[in-house]
Amino acid sequence: MITVTGLTSAYGRKPVLQGVSFTAWRGDCVGIVGANGCGKSTLLSILAGTLKPKSGQVSYYGRAAWSDAGGGRMHGNREVIRRMTGYVPQENPLIPELSVYDNLRLWYPDKKTLQNELEQGFLNLLGLDEFSAKRVSKLSGGMKKRVSIGIAMAGMPPVLLMDEPGAALDLICKEDIRRYLQVYLERRGTVVIATHEESELDLCSALYIMKDGRLHQADRCLRGEALTGRM
Amino acid sequence: MGRKMRYLYLEIKKTVKLLPHMLLQILLLLGLLAVVVVGAVRSMGREALAVRAEIAVVVREELAGLALHYVENIESVSRFCRFRQTTEQEGFELLNHGEVTALVLMPEQLLEGIMNGTNPAVEIYFPKQAGLEAMFFREMTEAGEGLLRVAQAQIYGAGDMAREFGLTEQLSRIETEIDSYNLAFALDRLALYDQEKVSAFGAVNAAQFYLASGTILFLLLAGMAMYPVVCKEKPAFCRQLTREGTGEIWQSFCQWVCGFLCVSLFAGILWAAGRLFAVFGPQDAVKYLTAGGGYPSHIGVGIGVVILMTVTALIYLVHSLAGSRTVGILLVFVVSVVMVFLSGGLVPAMFLPQHVRTVGEWLPTAWLMRAVSGLFAGRGAGVSGEGVAVLCGYTVLCTAAACFVRRSRGLL
Repeated sequence: MITVTGLTSAYGRKPVLQGVSFTAWRGDCVGIVGANGCGKSTLLSILAGTLKPKSGQVSYYGRAAWSDAGGGRMHGNREVIRRMTGYVPQENPLIPELSVYDNLRLWYPDKKTLQNELEQGFLNLLGLDEFSAKRVSKLSGGMKKRVSIGIAMAGMPPVLLMDEPGAALDLICKEDIRRYLQVYLERRGTVVIATHEESELDLCSALYIMKDGRLHQADRCLRGEALTGRM
Repeated sequence: MGRKMRYLYLEIKKTVKLLPHMLLQILLLLGLLAVVVVGAVRSMGREALAVRAEIAVVVREELAGLALHYVENIESVSRFCRFRQTTEQEGFELLNHGEVTALVLMPEQLLEGIMNGTNPAVEIYFPKQAGLEAMFFREMTEAGEGLLRVAQAQIYGAGDMAREFGLTEQLSRIETEIDSYNLAFALDRLALYDQEKVSAFGAVNAAQFYLASGTILFLLLAGMAMYPVVCKEKPAFCRQLTREGTGEIWQSFCQWVCGFLCVSLFAGILWAAGRLFAVFGPQDAVKYLTAGGGYPSHIGVGIGVVILMTVTALIYLVHSLAGSRTVGILLVFVVSVVMVFLSGGLVPAMFLPQHVRTVGEWLPTAWLMRAVSGLFAGRGAGVSGEGVAVLCGYTVLCTAAACFVRRSRGLL
């Protein structure tokens, strides 16, 4: 279970998040939508531990990831964040000069685990076994995104954080990503996804709209308005 | 193998994959440098070097002025020196501003002192940062002073002998004989120029000097091809690595190590070319290049590693400051050429203005060139523990500055 309470963040003096709170359970898919620059990526970066919040609390399955250390300082438990979350950022975290296998090898603890995953695990489901020898720079955008998801899935974390995974991808790729997410949710994983894609929202059990640094729970029937950021 | 070591391994693997592309660029660069060197050598062979020293002289009596005028008109002196009479204060000011090569203070009653044997001293002042002209003048003065001392010793010795053996009546004839021999042989100033060597290249010969500066220029310019190796990875990748516990410092270190491996490889190519030249090239040229003997191999390797580390750190800093490939290539080119020039690597520092020499002396390229010269010419070339320490200091400084720049720009 993910519990986010009163999360605030700012870039300089400009507040970005103002008391964001939500809860997600095992098997939930939480969708976060909103206009560009509203703070979706900031929220996911904090949840993934790459950005420090100003105040608030985040916990994964009862273990504190971000907590108030007193004196206005925040304490981040990186070990909890690392073990509990997999993060798919907007930009693919790949070394283009290396092969898919080499890129995956960096994040997987040993060759055997990686080989098993490629042969019969989630990486196989992503289809990465077929082009593991290919150089990343030669891959299409969709293939790169699949590798990024494969990297986030190293160690099979219970929470998957995805920042606009379908951006700039064609319909087939978006459908593929949707399929992988479905499998992950069926395996009782929790997904927090920031998106503009309607197809990805289909999977969401809870939908939030981010506006003026705050999260507003949206009715699923108001999805259209949520996507255009008019709410 | 932990993630940190896996990352280092993958960065090295990436470097290896980029090598063919980089080597192609290096070959092009070598070709270009070869064309420039051949052109420069031909140009230098055609033009004679002209050096002329302006000397400030403080004359305190009229007779000394006449003597100075006489000396000035001697052919061997007039070819090289031009005297300028000044006051003492004016003379020191000119010397401090680098407008004269030396200041000569002639004492009062100079001629009288010479005649009566008291020989009052003529004081000659040279600037602290002596240029080539000052070095010439010092050599000439010291040689002349030596000759005069010998001539005086001969005359005093002859006088004593004559008195002891009762030949005082023959004394003036003996002195005339001594003078004529000295004027005919010992005071042949033009012969002096043939025997004494004053080199603008210091303790190394011209070939060693240009080999050293060429090596440093080549290694620095090779840094233009190294951008993909020493540049940051994408921010998303860096953040993901940091999130997984591989911090900023380690990421920087890995890229630095890869840069060092590249520079070492380029230096290795140069070394291999040098070895081939030593085996198959003309032995006279090889002997000229290795005059001085170099260092024992273990010290040579140690100094070589320090040189490569400093070059790596410089390239790493410049690419970090640039922040993009195009700017990086341009900046490496400009910084390398300008620094090597200011350090006296293209035109010997002796021929550069005083303020340029002062700046150039403390640039890392100046220390790098001295160290490389030492590898060819041995201890006489001036590479010392101090030089190695300064290079280590530059390595640490440049690397730390690069890390600071990357961090402040959020590149790490």
